[in-house]
Amino acid sequence: MQSRYNDYFGEFGGRYVAEVLRGPLDELQHEFCAAFDDPEFHADLERVRDQFIGRPTPLLHAVNTSTELGGAQIYVKLEGLANTGAHKINNAVGQALLAKRMGKRRVIAETGAGQHGVATAAVCATLGLECTVYMGEVDRRRQRPNVFWMELYGAQVVPVRSGAQTLKDAVNEALRDWAASFADTHYLIGSALGPSPFPDMVREFQAVVGRETQQQLAEHGLTPAALIACVGGGSNAIGFFEPYLESETPRLIGVEAGGRGIETGAHAARMLGLGRTGILQGYKSKFLLSEDGQVAATHSVSAGLDYPGIGPQLAHLGESGRVEFRRAADAQALEALRAFARNEGVIFALESAHAAAAAMELAPQLPSESVIVVNMSGRGDKDLFITARELAPEAWKTFLSEEEASL
Amino acid sequence: MSAASKTPDRHDAAARRAVMAHMVAHYPDRESSLAVARALLAAGVAYLEVQFPFSDPSADGPVIQEANSAALDAGFRVDDGFALVSEITRDATVPVYLMTYASLVVSRGVEAFCSAAAVAGAAGLIVPDLPFDYDEGLYAAGKAAGLEVVPVLVAGVRDERLAQILGCRPESVYVALRAGITGSETVLDDATVRFLDCVKAAGCRVFGGFGVRRREQVEQLAPHLDAVVVGSQFVRALAGAVDEAPGNRAAAAAAVGAAARELVWGTAAASQSGAPAG
Repeated sequence: MQSRYNDYFGEFGGRYVAEVLRGPLDELQHEFCAAFDDPEFHADLERVRDQFIGRPTPLLHAVNTSTELGGAQIYVKLEGLANTGAHKINNAVGQALLAKRMGKRRVIAETGAGQHGVATAAVCATLGLECTVYMGEVDRRRQRPNVFWMELYGAQVVPVRSGAQTLKDAVNEALRDWAASFADTHYLIGSALGPSPFPDMVREFQAVVGRETQQQLAEHGLTPAALIACVGGGSNAIGFFEPYLESETPRLIGVEAGGRGIETGAHAARMLGLGRTGILQGYKSKFLLSEDGQVAATHSVSAGLDYPGIGPQLAHLGESGRVEFRRAADAQALEALRAFARNEGVIFALESAHAAAAAMELAPQLPSESVIVVNMSGRGDKDLFITARELAPEAWKTFLSEEEASL
Repeated sequence: MSAASKTPDRHDAAARRAVMAHMVAHYPDRESSLAVARALLAAGVAYLEVQFPFSDPSADGPVIQEANSAALDAGFRVDDGFALVSEITRDATVPVYLMTYASLVVSRGVEAFCSAAAVAGAAGLIVPDLPFDYDEGLYAAGKAAGLEVVPVLVAGVRDERLAQILGCRPESVYVALRAGITGSETVLDDATVRFLDCVKAAGCRVFGGFGVRRREQVEQLAPHLDAVVVGSQFVRALAGAVDEAPGNRAAAAAAVGAAARELVWGTAAASQSGAPAG
């Protein structure tokens, strides 16, 4: 059995932070390990999962898509049906309970697509914690609806205007806040990355997705040939894959953002030779960096995948070969989104649609009795302003003009 | 001591306080940053800390962060940084330290980075996100290259952690006096004074700062430190001059020189006889 706390995964991971953050991270490691040994903590977690998150989330057999593609049977873990619309809530709940246990009164978070920010803000509302969310200005604009929701939950959303004004800059800003506020504040990081113990802790809180899927498959007497998840930082993927990391099957497939195409440079794919080994934001992993070590610009239609680094455990699993990496371009993700909406009545988040695109590519290559499972880590409501503009530009423009005129 | 009572053409040696001045390489451009370095040295700073700009300087506040971005926009490369440090150390009579983040050091390769820094004449390296127990071999490589690696401490670090850091027998340590980022104002309380005195008693040189803006703060800190680190204040003075007169290198360097003299001597006036050597 793999350990709960690893610090390093092969050469990746670690705790590369200025001394000021060392104390708070040591404390967090201690509390994380203590909480996981405490049945009362698990009981609290179970209660919140049951009453607030809405677990278990369903496992859907995508019959129409499977038939149309004429290959493997595609199953979809509908993680986007969790409260607040994505897997992010699993980790937010876990860490917020940990923050309460540590006696913190305030929580800070970074957010890209806004899903982690929304999840954190919602949990803080229910647990009575003060909440500040850092969000890059570019992301704030493209995921504006989530800003409204966060504010409705009572969170303060702070725009970040430094650097590329996206997720990585929001992480920097949250780290700055935490360096001055750790005495009463917990930094609730949203992905399985950052300095240890975050990658281990986030995996443990997200593992509920994989364990539930494993159980649901067993109940149906199914043995999966492949599990597929999108990978930004990689929290949904590592949680989904967790029960299978130590075994040789099924195939575990991570899908990175191919953006406008690798050849254009406008992408966020770090594996398969594009990323360099580096140290950023407290951890060692594969990053999109210049030769000098400066962080490179990234692009994805999905804000949640638009990040230059990958969680250290996934980087290691990619190097070791346990996890296969693929890419899906912006256009492929949109196509998959459309296909699953029409065929299955399910709208993927743009991030998760990258995994769906890879499943559509893989399914026809496999026999019809084999099973592949896609993690729909989030649902697509939040992307309305992007997908409508991409898929039905004229109708959307008319609607927006009319809306504006009616104000 | 009142600045008004001093004659503008002489500096009182007794008034001199040891300051470690921070600057960002290639901010606002290469030649200006060289002029800034010379102005700081002429103002009589005791140590110079040259930061190699990084795209994501997460331990720095907004002022230094913006200077980092501007220097990168102006095309800074790590090789340019070593060339700049070489040029600065050619004339400098005080030690010049090189500060940057882990990403730049490990991308070059820790050993290659250390040897380039040594060749450029740097006295040591300050890399806040490579602490001694997650150092990627920096401490050994620095030693091999004849460079000091200066650990960055924070006032209030736990006793056992402090003992471990001092156990590495650093020649100097760099103490962040406020838990947080650069650029916010420091207040020196009794606990901090006890902490500094404890570090100093271990036999290392102690550089300390974060948020030092005024001569009174320098006066207050100086007895407990080998040098008071001043960063954001000089970068702020430089940024102000750049905003006012873009492209005017002399004005930019003069603004930084005046800010440095104010903190080193208690008066911004220039000495006609030139600043005393460090």
